[in-house]
Amino acid sequence: MQRILGGTGHGVDAVDDLEQAVPLVAGRAPRLVVVDGGAVSSPTFDEFFAAARARGAEACVALLDADHQTHLPQILGLGSVTNLLVHPMPVLGEELTITAQKLIRGDLFGAEKYLLWGTELHATTMTRASQRPQLVGELGDHVRDRGQSERVASMAMLVADELLSNAVHNAPVDDRGTRYRAELRRDAEIELDDRHRFVLRWGCDGRYVAIEVSDGFGSLDRDAVLRALAYSDIKESGGGAGMGIALTYRSCDHLVFNLAPGKRTEVIALIDVRYPPGERVPASSYNVFVERG
Amino acid sequence: MAMRGRISVESRGDAVAITGTIDETAGLPELLGLAREHRLVLDLGGIVFINSLGVRDWIRMQGAARRAGIAVELRRVPEPIIHQLNMIIATRGRARVTSFFAPYACDACGREDSLLIDAVVHARALARQEPPAAMPCADCGGEMAFNDFPERYFSFLSV
Repeated sequence: MQRILGGTGHGVDAVDDLEQAVPLVAGRAPRLVVVDGGAVSSPTFDEFFAAARARGAEACVALLDADHQTHLPQILGLGSVTNLLVHPMPVLGEELTITAQKLIRGDLFGAEKYLLWGTELHATTMTRASQRPQLVGELGDHVRDRGQSERVASMAMLVADELLSNAVHNAPVDDRGTRYRAELRRDAEIELDDRHRFVLRWGCDGRYVAIEVSDGFGSLDRDAVLRALAYSDIKESGGGAGMGIALTYRSCDHLVFNLAPGKRTEVIALIDVRYPPGERVPASSYNVFVERG
Repeated sequence: MAMRGRISVESRGDAVAITGTIDETAGLPELLGLAREHRLVLDLGGIVFINSLGVRDWIRMQGAARRAGIAVELRRVPEPIIHQLNMIIATRGRARVTSFFAPYACDACGREDSLLIDAVVHARALARQEPPAAMPCADCGGEMAFNDFPERYFSFLSV
């Protein structure tokens, strides 16, 4: 952990437990604190997070031990962990480095940060709601054409469908914050003017299929995202953006929210294509980044 | 064959076969009108995709079946629906799954396939979350082994 974060060029302090970490944070102004997921059971966990946040630090929970996956429901249920990294090394090293660099540089947006150099991202601007099924089907075909399995294509289609649907119906808000398209029928045709148009980008670098959807409203709220990620089940009448986020999270390996309140929302879903299903971690990482003013 | 949104519906023996995409246009609860003697058998082998609005429609169908006293049997359940059954407990309702597709991979040539498992024949093994034994690869004749975590993929059978 120390070597990974040390690679950013910033100073790194390591301690054995949260009891040692609380006074350390209180005396400094760290940019990022990283906590092992096993510490969620510690009585000092909430106190440490509060202390870190009070000092302006972003907090990240990393599962350094596979056994700590049993803590996932508890971590998600907290509704306060904005960065959760569940994969073992070497993926953890990649995820943690990108997380740290984005926070340190304040440069949040773009799926390029998660893909190897030279990977082409294909962009499509959505101009009407009825494009969604066609775009989703085409994405599935493209992913299969790249030699990916039916499982990966199916996951990519589900993720894209949810992100596109959210961008059409849940992202638009008026001056009062009312989501004026949330109740419209999902199969209704809606022409999207310049204000409502948004972009789907996707690419594959042989490690990940990355799917990115960004809109110009910036209406997705950090706490709403964290609540949605914790959904373990839905009811018959449930739905809205929350259900779409919950399904998207469970259908990819890493979900990233880049939020610029009132300006822009970007969601990036990464599907790891390196490992067969039986060797994949049965959980997903996520980041919720909020642009600082 | 009748089209309903992006799915097509047709009779296949004692079953109602639906193919295509289950989304906001599917109107699944209306399929209950095709039940015979309070029993509806759905052959889902042709479903290629289900989105969250399709999942909601699916849950409504399950709820309506329960209220109407209709027993739902699911045959040839494809992987996209198995994933939903595993992720969202409400999708399971009281439906009985009698066969389903599962991911298999060949160690010799790398071929990946979705193979049909008879949930009745293999009920005892599946209850122990043990996948059926290796199946022959269509490409090289090698052995295809189950290619997911059994405790995760078969969890829909536990309720």
